[in-house]
Amino acid sequence: MLSGGTRDARRTERYLDELMAADQRRVSEFPVDTDMDPAIRLAARELRADLVRVHPSFRFEEALAARLAAGAMRLRAGLRVEIAEADGVPATPGTMSAFRSHSTTAQGGAVTAIPPDTAPAQPQAVASASALRRLPEMAARQSRPLIVGGVGMASAAISIGAVYVAWRHSHQASGRMGRAARTAHGRAAGSSRRRTGVINGILGVVS
Amino acid sequence: MLSRAKEGARPARLDRDRGLVEAARRDPACFDALYRKYLAQVYSYAYYELRDHHAAEDATERVFMQALAGLPRFEERVDDFIASRSVMTESGPDSAEISTFRIWLFRIAHNVVANERRRDRRRPVTPLEEAAELSAPDDVAETAAAREAFSAAWDAVARLPQDRRRAIILRFVDEMSTAEIGAILGRSEGAVRVLLHRALRSVADDLRGHLS
Repeated sequence: MLSGGTRDARRTERYLDELMAADQRRVSEFPVDTDMDPAIRLAARELRADLVRVHPSFRFEEALAARLAAGAMRLRAGLRVEIAEADGVPATPGTMSAFRSHSTTAQGGAVTAIPPDTAPAQPQAVASASALRRLPEMAARQSRPLIVGGVGMASAAISIGAVYVAWRHSHQASGRMGRAARTAHGRAAGSSRRRTGVINGILGVVS
Repeated sequence: MLSRAKEGARPARLDRDRGLVEAARRDPACFDALYRKYLAQVYSYAYYELRDHHAAEDATERVFMQALAGLPRFEERVDDFIASRSVMTESGPDSAEISTFRIWLFRIAHNVVANERRRDRRRPVTPLEEAAELSAPDDVAETAAAREAFSAAWDAVARLPQDRRRAIILRFVDEMSTAEIGAILGRSEGAVRVLLHRALRSVADDLRGHLS
């Protein structure tokens, strides 16, 4: 004979299993045990929506992967792995993007992890990592947001900027203002082209 | 059914990471696959426990380095695990999802995070985001709005006693079963069930207070 507390705890567990399974199936409504405390149901739904999985920055991920690879090399050579005490990889601010969980099995609540390398994220919203505290307002009810690194985007922006500068040098303005500017600065078209060629050579850009 | 599990026919399909673990044992470079698979889960656990990106990154690094170094000593104890969960073994599908490598990894994470929290208590620091908020006195309206929007549920979880909070994080963020949480926290399934129920009751009370 189960005690009241144990029965309630089992009821709660069944509800959590159903809640997670419904999330995998992307449905919001599912049959619930009416004997269950509605306040607990509400709390569970709140936590399901608010406690999102967080991913570190890609820079951190790759830096740690490199350290692990170095550790693996040491192991292969029969040496010990050096475990750093507190010298973490430089932290970088991240951005947040929402995605739906790709877990497929929710029976008994044991669900598959979302391997970042195999599960394609489906970005729905992007915001500063400092907005984590506003997650409930930003993330959709049924989505499982993820925080990803912002360094990749910064790097891409810098690359685009460099390519634009190179392109701008190789495509001189042909208007009157452009000609006037070249005359004023005494730039010969030939020397400009040579300079552009050098820049393009450095950047590896083909105009 | 249980006797068949003991014969050793079942474990091969019980730990879904067995192939990756064996590959990593043969060639440590293959550990990368396990790292990529569990990075977000371990990092999330550390982040929710430590509430600071930098501390979470440090903890995550230590967890995976320790896991890599300790992998040769890792023992898969699927049979014992199954034996202790005879009812669920009968059901099949749930057992098939049990990953003892994941449990082992999260036990490491559990210890690393606990050590980190102990160290933090001795040397308290303010996370950078909070410091930025505090040092912006002319941005009162925005700060107030951000605090208003601060999730009441998230706050309620932070106020929970340690074991309840960890059980909630493992259940909701890492989507673990009661059995897995029990194996990580060193509790029985029944104890974890009660832990989760009480934790939700506390959160519900907190939310009710917040609304009223």
